[in-house]
Amino acid sequence: MEGCPRNKETCPKLLDLIPQGRKWYQEEKNNTDQENKLELRLAPPGGDEEATSAMTKKKIETRNNTKKEAEDKSLFNLSGNHFSPPKNTTYNPHISLKRTAPGPVVGWPPVRSFRKNLANTISSKLGNESSLGGQVNKSGDCEKQVQPSKREGMFVKINMDSVPIGRKVDLNAYNSYEHLSFAVDKLFRGLLAAQRDTSGGEGEEKPIIGLLDGKGEFTLTYEDNEGDKMLVGDVPWQMFVSSVKRLRVIKSSEISSALRFGCSKQQKMRA
Amino acid sequence: MDLRLPSKVLEHIFSFVDSNEDRNSVSLVCKSWYETERRTRKKIFVRNCYAVTPEAVARRFPEMRSLTLKGKPHFADYNLVPDGWGGYAWPWIEALAEKSPSLEELRLKRMVVTDECLEKIAASFKEFKALVLTSCEGFSTDGLAAIAVACSNLRELELRECIVEDLGGDWLSYFPETLTSLVSLDFSCLDSAVKLSDLERLVSRSPNLKSLKLNRAVSLEALGSLLRLAPQLVELGTGSFSDKLDQEAVSKLSQAFSELKQLKSLSGLWDVHPEYIPLLYSVCPRLTSLNLSYATVQMPDLVELLSRCSNLQKLWVMDLIEDKGLEAVASSCKELRELRVFPSGAEDLDETNVAMTEQGLVSVSEVCPNLESVLYFCVQFTNEALVTIARNRPNLKCFRLCVMEPFSPDHKTQKPLDEGFKAIVEGCKDLQRLSVSGLLTDKAFQYIGTHGKKIRMLSIAFAGESDLMLHHLLSGCESLNKLEIRDCPFGDTALLENAAKLETMRSLWMSSCFVSFGACKLLSQKMPKLNVEVIDEHPPETRPDSSPVERIYIYRTLAGPRLDMPEFVWTIHKNLEIGVSNLAIE
Repeated sequence: MEGCPRNKETCPKLLDLIPQGRKWYQEEKNNTDQENKLELRLAPPGGDEEATSAMTKKKIETRNNTKKEAEDKSLFNLSGNHFSPPKNTTYNPHISLKRTAPGPVVGWPPVRSFRKNLANTISSKLGNESSLGGQVNKSGDCEKQVQPSKREGMFVKINMDSVPIGRKVDLNAYNSYEHLSFAVDKLFRGLLAAQRDTSGGEGEEKPIIGLLDGKGEFTLTYEDNEGDKMLVGDVPWQMFVSSVKRLRVIKSSEISSALRFGCSKQQKMRA
Repeated sequence: MDLRLPSKVLEHIFSFVDSNEDRNSVSLVCKSWYETERRTRKKIFVRNCYAVTPEAVARRFPEMRSLTLKGKPHFADYNLVPDGWGGYAWPWIEALAEKSPSLEELRLKRMVVTDECLEKIAASFKEFKALVLTSCEGFSTDGLAAIAVACSNLRELELRECIVEDLGGDWLSYFPETLTSLVSLDFSCLDSAVKLSDLERLVSRSPNLKSLKLNRAVSLEALGSLLRLAPQLVELGTGSFSDKLDQEAVSKLSQAFSELKQLKSLSGLWDVHPEYIPLLYSVCPRLTSLNLSYATVQMPDLVELLSRCSNLQKLWVMDLIEDKGLEAVASSCKELRELRVFPSGAEDLDETNVAMTEQGLVSVSEVCPNLESVLYFCVQFTNEALVTIARNRPNLKCFRLCVMEPFSPDHKTQKPLDEGFKAIVEGCKDLQRLSVSGLLTDKAFQYIGTHGKKIRMLSIAFAGESDLMLHHLLSGCESLNKLEIRDCPFGDTALLENAAKLETMRSLWMSSCFVSFGACKLLSQKMPKLNVEVIDEHPPETRPDSSPVERIYIYRTLAGPRLDMPEFVWTIHKNLEIGVSNLAIE
């Protein structure tokens, strides 16, 4: 039974649990070239299920009647695009298989819960440490009065439009917006030039200026601890440092659309 | 002429046979060999606690001194097994307390261990020496206190990534002053701080202490005083690595580290502040194992540290190391055998962070000739990279790749990763463990079935297209022992066609696939040596045969149906019509 050759006729099975199974399976093998028949569409519940193969038709009908929760945890949820397996082996490169905002899938990626909880503390550490202020979440350290931690790094991620490589900056290393702006210029100037170089541009390094006043080609924005997207520079520096989760350098021309999706607090505040 | 060897001679000969695999073979030769072997086996491994009853094990091996037990299926690590499923240690401990009171060592993995269990151990096994709990849960620090106070010959107490109800750090203070036999202590998964003075006293009266893994609450300063008391340590897990220390404290700590002449393994390193990384430089050249997977250290500092670890064999690190860092590691750590790269930011799936790609792993595979075990999380991969890795490292034994976005194709060609994994299974003929990810068609599994003849454990998620995929695996992979699958689109056919294969495997886990309830029933009816468990937290009111089930766990067993099933686990022994049972766990 182990290592049975593919040709079912010569390999006696210990157990044949499907009365007509063998016959069915032979048909299936003859059709391996026509993979359509075996195609299972990964579509959301209630989607193109009529198009699936005859083999699974029965199941599809009854599956519609079962609770959706069972499916929610399955791959159905993941494929926001109607992905169908290939006819041959080349895939249509235009099908974007990457979702922009994956829904939460139980147990994915397969990281131990132990490590995941730590991952959360890591990202909040890398993101926003001083908001923890004097509270250290380990009961053993209760004597330790933590000053807003200047000595520990306060790393936040920073990305720039059109530059695929993100970086992390330590906000504790700066004490003003100008200082931060200068650092952003240093970080991305070379990367941006390299990017422009490959896309046929000049490739010379131009300083990245005007990040804070909207006058430059790029503008610095950030996402705060409530998920809102804001322009950098409006609030006092310390307040900014305590609420920022990540930074993004966007094209100044796209400010309004970039901020649209976060309910802009600045609009609220100014009102 | 009686050609049988007297049993005393046989016993003596068998005492040289260490490996249980060999002992299993020995026991099959003839009755007298079976009898002699079983009376001399001291270390017993039961890799599925439901495969056999504790009474049967105790009866067969009267000289049992060490028992290793595993409970929940591996996917329980990723929250795919609902709470209350099972894996209780109590029936084992109760039975062994009566039948094997000379038990000295208990190693449990993924089991539910209660304080009652720990108290029973403390009360029943007079010679108890070693308790190692990995990924266990259900007990509190009170249970630890019971062990500490009663086990006067305790050598090992290790809690590896357990979920413990933390009632405080007092438990450590229960180790009596007369306890001097400690060799290994690991409480790294506990939250509360223990009393430092009690820990210091314990360490100073344990001359044989070789392995000490502290929890996060132990400060850097406290670490210094502990190291000075135990310069003989071979394994160290630090606590938090980020106090503010003055210059004198720093130099004292540096001195303490440099005294650790035997140190081979280093872990812990939570909250590492870059300023203190140089403290580790003195131990680096001797290290063979380094776990930086909790250390939020950026690439330049990582490289600086790892460039000094020329003897490193095992490295666990986060993806903060980036491709560049792995390149540097490759050139400094040529003895590398095992590499694990964990994701640092679970929420960053929507971002293309190209600092950590397939290139990092390729670099390591190029330069490190002994690399045989890989666990690699990243956001993208290519067939070309897999082909290169396979060509560079045909000696791979364990290859676990997790491309974190499900269905990710080769990011350069947009094709599935079938050809890449083909190269892996074709080239790495000794591959025993494989985890696949990315976009994969049935072809990938055809390749795995054809070439993966030594694969014992296979993990699959979000892959394949049809029943062919499962059929290829079950009919092709001769050595397959554990198969775990989630979210793949196959149904009943391949499973039923290859039912006999399931008796040759330890277990099969399938969740969010399209296997029907009817198939589960049929399988249960026809295969009495298997336990077929349907695990459905949301079972329908009525369960027609064609309805798909949420999760199935199938395992071979000599113990028959288990008696501790919760409501949401169905087996054929419960009411067939209803499909769920009113049996509650006691």
